Amino acid sequence: MKLIKFASITKKIALAAFGLFLLLFLPVHLGINLCLLREDGGEWYRNASHFMGTNYIVKVFEIVLLASVLLHIIIAILLTIENFLARPIRYKVATKTKTPFMSRYMIWTGGVIACFLVIHFINFYFVKFDLVEGKYSADMEQVDKHFQEKAIKLQSGELSEKEQASLMAQYQAISQVSMDKMDKNRKNLVNLTKDEVKLYCGEDFKHYEPDFYNMSLELFANKTYSIIYLLVFVVLGFHLFHALGSLAQTLGLNHKKYTPIIDVVALAYAVIIPLGFAAIPLWLMFML
Amino acid sequence: MDFTLKIWRQENQKAKGRFETYKIKDISPDCSFLEMLDILNESLVNKLSHPVCFDNDCREGICGMCGLYINGRPHGPDDAVTTCQLHMRKFTDGETITIEPWRAKPFPVIRDLVVDRTALDKMIQEGGYISVTSGGVPDGNAIPIPKHKADQAMDSASCIGCGACIAACKNASAMLFVGAKVTQLALLPQGKPEAAIRVQKMVAKMDELGFGNCTNTYACEAECPKEIKRSNISRMNLEFILAKIVSEETI
Amino acid sequence: MSTLDSKIPEGQLSEKWTRYKSSQKLVNPANKRKLDIIVVGTGLAGSSAAASLGALGFNVKIFCISDSPRRAHSIAAQGGINAAKNYQNDGDSIERLFNDTIKGGDYRAREANVYRLAEVANSIIDQGVAQGIPFARDYAGLLDNRSFGGSQVSRTFYAKGQTGQQLLLGAYSALSKEIKAGTVKMYERREMMDLVVIDGQARGIITRNLQTGELERWSSHAVVMATGGYGNVYFLSTNAMECNGSAAVQCYHKGAMFANPCFVQIHPTCIPVKGDYQSKLTLMSESLRNDGRIWVPKNIEDAKAIREGKLNPTDLKEEDRDYYLERRYPAFGNLVPRDIASRAAKERCDAGYGVGAGFAVYLDFKTAIERLGRDKIQERYGNLFQMYEKIVDVDPYENPMMIYPAVHYTMGGLWVDYELQTTIPGLFATGEANFSDHGANRLGASALMQGLADGYFILPYTMQNFLADKIHQPRVSIETKEFDEAEKSVRAKLESIMAIKGEKTVDTLQRELGHIMWEYVGMGRNAEKLTKAIPMLADLRKEFWSNVRVTGDMNSMNPELAKALRLADHIELAEIMAKDALQREESCGGHYREEYVTDEGEARRDDKNFMFVGVWEYKGEEQEPIMHKEELNYEFINVQQRNYK
Ligand SMILES: Cc1cc2nc3c(=O)[nH]c(=O)nc-3n(C[C@H](O)[C@H](O)[C@H](O)COP(=O)(O)OP(=O)(O)OC[C@H]3O[C@@H](n4cnc5c(N)ncnc54)[C@H](O)[C@@H]3O)c2cc1C
Ligand code: HEM
Ligand code: FES
Repeated sequence: MKLIKFASITKKIALAAFGLFLLLFLPVHLGINLCLLREDGGEWYRNASHFMGTNYIVKVFEIVLLASVLLHIIIAILLTIENFLARPIRYKVATKTKTPFMSRYMIWTGGVIACFLVIHFINFYFVKFDLVEGKYSADMEQVDKHFQEKAIKLQSGELSEKEQASLMAQYQAISQVSMDKMDKNRKNLVNLTKDEVKLYCGEDFKHYEPDFYNMSLELFANKTYSIIYLLVFVVLGFHLFHALGSLAQTLGLNHKKYTPIIDVVALAYAVIIPLGFAAIPLWLMFML
Repeated sequence: MDFTLKIWRQENQKAKGRFETYKIKDISPDCSFLEMLDILNESLVNKLSHPVCFDNDCREGICGMCGLYINGRPHGPDDAVTTCQLHMRKFTDGETITIEPWRAKPFPVIRDLVVDRTALDKMIQEGGYISVTSGGVPDGNAIPIPKHKADQAMDSASCIGCGACIAACKNASAMLFVGAKVTQLALLPQGKPEAAIRVQKMVAKMDELGFGNCTNTYACEAECPKEIKRSNISRMNLEFILAKIVSEETI
Repeated sequence: MSTLDSKIPEGQLSEKWTRYKSSQKLVNPANKRKLDIIVVGTGLAGSSAAASLGALGFNVKIFCISDSPRRAHSIAAQGGINAAKNYQNDGDSIERLFNDTIKGGDYRAREANVYRLAEVANSIIDQGVAQGIPFARDYAGLLDNRSFGGSQVSRTFYAKGQTGQQLLLGAYSALSKEIKAGTVKMYERREMMDLVVIDGQARGIITRNLQTGELERWSSHAVVMATGGYGNVYFLSTNAMECNGSAAVQCYHKGAMFANPCFVQIHPTCIPVKGDYQSKLTLMSESLRNDGRIWVPKNIEDAKAIREGKLNPTDLKEEDRDYYLERRYPAFGNLVPRDIASRAAKERCDAGYGVGAGFAVYLDFKTAIERLGRDKIQERYGNLFQMYEKIVDVDPYENPMMIYPAVHYTMGGLWVDYELQTTIPGLFATGEANFSDHGANRLGASALMQGLADGYFILPYTMQNFLADKIHQPRVSIETKEFDEAEKSVRAKLESIMAIKGEKTVDTLQRELGHIMWEYVGMGRNAEKLTKAIPMLADLRKEFWSNVRVTGDMNSMNPELAKALRLADHIELAEIMAKDALQREESCGGHYREEYVTDEGEARRDDKNFMFVGVWEYKGEEQEPIMHKEELNYEFINVQQRNYK
């Protein structure tokens, strides 16, 4: 039974192509994450997040990326089902053939990654779409600007009573804002809940952004989460270790001269990338 | 040497199969695996029961007719041999040996350990050849072929069509078998004119017959009695990409 | 039918085939579709014939004994295929290949056939290259050659140690193409059970479906037998397990005569027998004799010590080794023809110089490894060395290989004329199944050549000549009384075998047959042994028909039954082999009669009385067969005593 009407190799190549895209994205993501470690109160990190969240090219890229993740997963699952069906009666004795260990468990390592991605999306990505609530930040200048605009309207008597009250509350709140709601440079309000955003920035303030920096720090403060996170990256390492060589094989790049090099690169990639990601909770757990 | 054999028995394609256990004694370590089964069969005939059916022909590892799944490995515990070349010295005295037929959807069991492998021929018939007819061809030396290319083509061409790659693959994929043929013919100048159409047709047939897909696990390479390399699969993928993207020929 | 007309065309040797082709009858394309051809056997001969005939437009049905044509016995040929391309510029030519083949066959082959073979051989190489066969090449990218026994030029083309495999896969691919095109229909797991002759013409066959046990009928205008040789009469041979002479015997019973049954080739380089459980012998390619040197200890004490495991062969000094082939035949050395090399090995072992269990000699690569390096040897023979090590468990790079002669090839077969037609009109025989080209001994690398020459380049012409007269002959129904009778007799035979329920397994009887044949009709024959063998074989036949035990049933897959059927025919074949050997009071090629030797112990041929083909005609059960003679006239070749010294 063929679940979708593409040639087997077409499916396989699509899987690899989407995988390749993910492979390319991972270092970018890692680069941003590593900004967390800079003791600048999240300035770089925030700038990077801001760029990623607002640049139009990046937005296109983001759609492709999301599609890649989904399609990679969908094709992987389809192939796994098809492959399972290709042997309706299974062997009694389990295979003793020596094969690269990781290659046999790609769907499982992938599955673990997928589960983590769900958590990860809930924790971070969905915040962007207001699907779940997270922590937010707002540029003080923006807040100020917004406040000034409101103040002008107040003077010209355009505000309703309710709006007046809220503006007053905002004024009070903001003048007593605690230090931990401000970043180091006092440029941004940070670590705000939705209510706090309303409180500090005003009911209809639109220019707040998810505060991934503090959300991360908060999550990593949770030991259980950190450990799960570390484990997931070990698993990712396994997935990646097979993925890169496999990718080359799938795309027809098997060459006496280059395959050994690709194998080394695959190993390096599979170690460095997860290690980079893991460095963050490790650093936070042991160094701070 | 003494062994306990657990052998898959199945009367015909439709019958429900089962494992039967047999004891066999005083086997010489120099005896080949199939000769050990011959001895078992002779004793079964003496007991008036039906001998175990298994395919074999050349008994020297070239016809690809034999093929048993022995203790979890196609062609048994030795590397780079067919079942007929496997010798009992590779087992330990007193061992229990489980023998199963090749398992794959396109390989239905015919009887006991005999499976129907005509699916392999069907894939070759789709284009695993160069379409010349007898006579009217140029001199053998008309086109020089670089030695390393000819050697590589020979390595791919040494496939014996036993199906161990498919039996070994966790997905019952026939990519090594098809890949070897596609590669052999793609490497040679004679095979080039039909390369784009060949790979598309053979892959389509492979899918149609119900073989699984490759997940780059390389069990095929590990179990191939002729040590055919996975680079053949890679080469086929490349040929396929080129055929689909560059070539104007479609199937 | 006592006059055998070999239908050799008139004219100069080199013009015969051209002349034949230009005057033969042809069939137009529209008529070809109306003509059916049955091909039995999918080896080189059968596959190439079916592919070529299908491509011409005939309706071809091919019957394959196993699941795929690629399993056929031809797949096992290792060494190579001859052709007189003279790419090496070493003086080769069609004439020389012709001469070598006739001489190698000890002047017992038909001149015109052999010349034609040498003539078309070059086209086989071209055909193979065009099919994508990866023949070995040199660094310039041109085809490479190696030397084989019985010739002083390098004319053997090869694909590693797997030449037969590659050639068969080439023919198989041509066949696959025709199957796809619909001109050839393939029926797998079918064994031919009988030939159907209607009005004196071969019009069909009965097969048994080995998967279901069903008997089936097939009709046609002509039948091609490409069923290979009968070496398995000896039980232990280098032939594949499914090789059998059964189909040839069926044709013999129906009136096709059997030529030179006693001509059997014993190959000098096989892995020696290990134990009585052994089911077959493995060949180590003749090409090994290019670089390997054959020897036994010079002193009988050393041989004894080696046999007892007290002495290691590698410790034996150079001067204590007897390179007996180099000693006796300095001109050809280790590359003497097979029959000579085999007899020399047997002679040494019989004299007590054998190693291993006493029936083995050494094939040593030490000198070659020193001269060329291990890598070169590995490149040339790697897979053979590996095969040896897997079987024997000894590393042949470090220790000399042990080899001993074994039954390998049968030169005899169905008698055919120049058109490859048997004495039954419409029944053709090709490849090892016929007798035509190798005389009393076949040179290495010429069986592949012959099978393919027949299939690609000869049958497509000669069969057309026959079929041209049949375009008005309608297809025949499979419900005729001839088909009924044939099927009935096959069924009766099957039933009677199943009904015996005796005491002896097929394997046991087969081993007994093999033993009689090897001991009495083997490498060294004499009148005494042969006259003993004939009644022994008759007894064995009786024993078979009264005491064989076949279990299971006949309506399902039952290899034991299939083996039993073949064994019955093999016993019969063995009887005419023995009779033919007894009748031929000379030593020639593979047929060595101990009474007929020169003073130097070499074979002594008797051209005056025995320059003929012994052609046997079946006269019915319990009747003595009759032998006819096809006299061989050597018009163009100068008949000499073979001399490889
Ligand atoms: C180990 C070995 C190495 C050799 N090496 C060389 C070499 O290097 N060079 C060389 O020139 N020659 C070599 N030969 C000889 C050569 O391989 C054979 O003579 C040749 O291949 C015969 O080809 P064929 O097509 O006539 O018959 P085969 O290949 O024997 O094909 C006949 C087929 O018909 C089948 N058959 C038989 N009876 C029936 C039936 N009743 N119904 C249906 N099918 C039937 C057989 O099972 C077989 O598959 C070698 C032989 C052996 C054994
Ligand atoms: C960051 C995340 C991921 C990256 C970078 C990635 C990358 C890759 C790459 C490059 C391949 C090799 C493709 C090939 O074999 O040619 C691959 C294979 C695979 N991936 Fe992923 N992947 C990721 C996540 C996932 C997820 C979430 C799944 C979930 C199911 C998954 C399942 C698989 C499977 C099953 C394979 C092997 C399929 C096969 O070989 O046929 N991957 N991956
Ligand atoms: S029987 Fe031919 S490969 Fe094993």
